[in-house]
Amino acid sequence: MADINPLAPGLPLAIDPEVGGPPTAPIGGIPPRAGRPIARFGRLGPNLVLILCAVFFLAPLLALARYALQNVPTILLGRSTLFKKWSLGGLTKAFSDKQFGPTLTLSLKLAVGTVFLTLALLLPTAIWVHMRLPKMRAVIEFVTVLPYVIPAIALVAGIVVVKPHARWFLDSNYSLVPFYVILALPFTYRSIDAGLRAIDLKTLVDASRSLGAGWGTTLRRALVPNLRTAIISSAFLTTAVVLGEFTIASTLLKNTLPTFQAIYVKREPQGGYGLNLLALVVTTGLFALLTLLTRKRGSRKSTAVVAVAATAGQARTLAP
Amino acid sequence: MTGLLYISVRKTFGPTVALESLDLDVKEGELISLLGPSGCGKTTALRIAAGFEFADSGAVTVGGADITRKPAHKRNMGMVFQSYSLFPNLTVNLNVDFGLRTRKIGAPERKKRVAEMLELVQLGGMGNRYPHQLSGGQQQRVALARALAIRPSVLLLDEPLSALDAKVRLALRDEIRRIQTELGITTLLVTHDQEEALGIADRVGVMSSGRLEQLAPPAQIYSRPASAFVARFVGSMNELPAVVRGPDAVEVSGQTIMTPSALTRDVGESVLFLVRPEDVTVRDADQDGLAGTVTATTFQGASTVVGLRLDVLDVLIHAHLNSSTASHLAAGQRVSVQIDGTRGVLESLGAAPVVEDALA
Ligand SMILES: Nc1ncnc2c1ncn2[C@@H]1O[C@H](COP(=O)(O)OP(=O)(O)OP(=O)(O)O)[C@@H](O)[C@H]1O
Ligand SMILES: [Mg+2]
Repeated sequence: MADINPLAPGLPLAIDPEVGGPPTAPIGGIPPRAGRPIARFGRLGPNLVLILCAVFFLAPLLALARYALQNVPTILLGRSTLFKKWSLGGLTKAFSDKQFGPTLTLSLKLAVGTVFLTLALLLPTAIWVHMRLPKMRAVIEFVTVLPYVIPAIALVAGIVVVKPHARWFLDSNYSLVPFYVILALPFTYRSIDAGLRAIDLKTLVDASRSLGAGWGTTLRRALVPNLRTAIISSAFLTTAVVLGEFTIASTLLKNTLPTFQAIYVKREPQGGYGLNLLALVVTTGLFALLTLLTRKRGSRKSTAVVAVAATAGQARTLAP
Repeated sequence: MTGLLYISVRKTFGPTVALESLDLDVKEGELISLLGPSGCGKTTALRIAAGFEFADSGAVTVGGADITRKPAHKRNMGMVFQSYSLFPNLTVNLNVDFGLRTRKIGAPERKKRVAEMLELVQLGGMGNRYPHQLSGGQQQRVALARALAIRPSVLLLDEPLSALDAKVRLALRDEIRRIQTELGITTLLVTHDQEEALGIADRVGVMSSGRLEQLAPPAQIYSRPASAFVARFVGSMNELPAVVRGPDAVEVSGQTIMTPSALTRDVGESVLFLVRPEDVTVRDADQDGLAGTVTATTFQGASTVVGLRLDVLDVLIHAHLNSSTASHLAAGQRVSVQIDGTRGVLESLGAAPVVEDALA
């Protein structure tokens, strides 16, 4: 990051000791730091990258939107027809399908269940690791990435082996919850971890305990309120994962929103792709909201990284 | 309110011995400050009293009751931390209220006590602010109010002033002492600032690598240090090679200096003789004493620090002289140096420093 001029925020410091200039102390006593060359580059470089990225992401989305929402034969989708016959017909038809309501409800219930199980497991664990096993942090972080690195199909293979012995469990719709907890772990752990890093955990816990609070009260009154942003982000991320997961749900023969989408897209391609597009937009909207919510508090960068990763994961699982 | 007692408390972290065997008796209503270099175990001692760490062996009692194994939240200790420890999501009022609420005290009583405590630390009217709207000094005042609100049996302060700038530190130090005396609360204060320790405490405990080297009133720590470590750590010391010549005498480059510190030494032993700069005086070159040359004079108002090089030993020493006496001295001037050995301390050469019985 470039040095910020304290007298005129937004402008880089005028004096550059490497180039020469008046032999005065840096303005405001801020010592010159490394990283100056980026400031010289100006804003063009980063903006160009941003624009390229936007095109790279938006062009396929636009194509998807045109296919899903324009009542124009695919072969005629050219520049001349750009503003013709837009309609939400395909989508509304998808909404009115009798499978849509129940699968959406199940997916939302699964999301809520996953959020709660994740927090119940992760919050105490992460706090414990930060307080008592700081050296284990790297190891645990590595373990939590595994679900992202190992394809879901590996988990599915495991399920297939166990299936005959665990019918009582796998028959329930909610048997998906533990799997989703695992799938969301790379994102949720990181988000909680970043939240814990941003507060002086040890001192807050010690202060609370010296004031007579047991662990429960400490968690409830001293920690959770200060980890609010991290908890909200991890809830959003979990929801995104649950609303995008197809492989495990279909292996276990559950009717979740993503499995419905996969079937529906074959039956009604236009409405099906409309649903996919909507899912992407809603997810992105969630993350935009998340980024706004977290902006004021410290852990923005890590949340943004996690959000991007999760969107990518979402897109991957969505691909039919 | 009651005294705090450590009995042979030992604490290790893996291979690190944080406390070797600590015996410390903080009497009822007394303020003891623990002083020592970084890593000597001060914080560990405090955290064991607070219940954040547990002793490997030994015991801690408050008012005679053994609390060695009691969990932190049942100990009724007030603690103020070095880093800002207010709950950032709570206002000043609610921060002070935190401990009262966990004690299930009725709302009217809580409100009264919060106001009382904020008044005590001179922050009345700031109750609705959030911690981030306060200066560092104000935050530590709130932390103090929060710790005192629960009417703790012992107050534990871990370098509460070290994050503050010099002026605020001085003011708050005096205030802590005022409040402590006013409430008559048993207090253990950890610091590595000797001025702070000597200025505020009834007694000072000087620690070094997990041991209590000396526990004594501030004046005694300074004038009768129990070991060479204490002598060096508190105030400054000149160090002169010497040989023990009798039960009350050492010889420094041919000059015999009377010092009671030689009593426990063997005659003929080579030692380092530690002398405070105030105990060094300078006379004209033709007088009796150690011949030397003035290397520099630094005027400090009432006193002047004079740097001296002794001819025979070729060591550099310092003298703190009354500015009027030192006014005729200049760099390069030949002088004769006298040493008053009554407060001197001896250290064996080569061997490890001798440890005096800490509680003697
Ligand atoms: N939780 C811990 N795990 C491992 N070692 C520790 C732990 N706490 C303290 N130590 C070690 O114990 C020794 C004493 O630490 P302590 O914090 O008591 O020192 P201190 O006197 O308070 O120092 P400072 O003035 O720097 O605060 C140090 O060597 C420290 O590294
Ligand atoms: Mg410490």
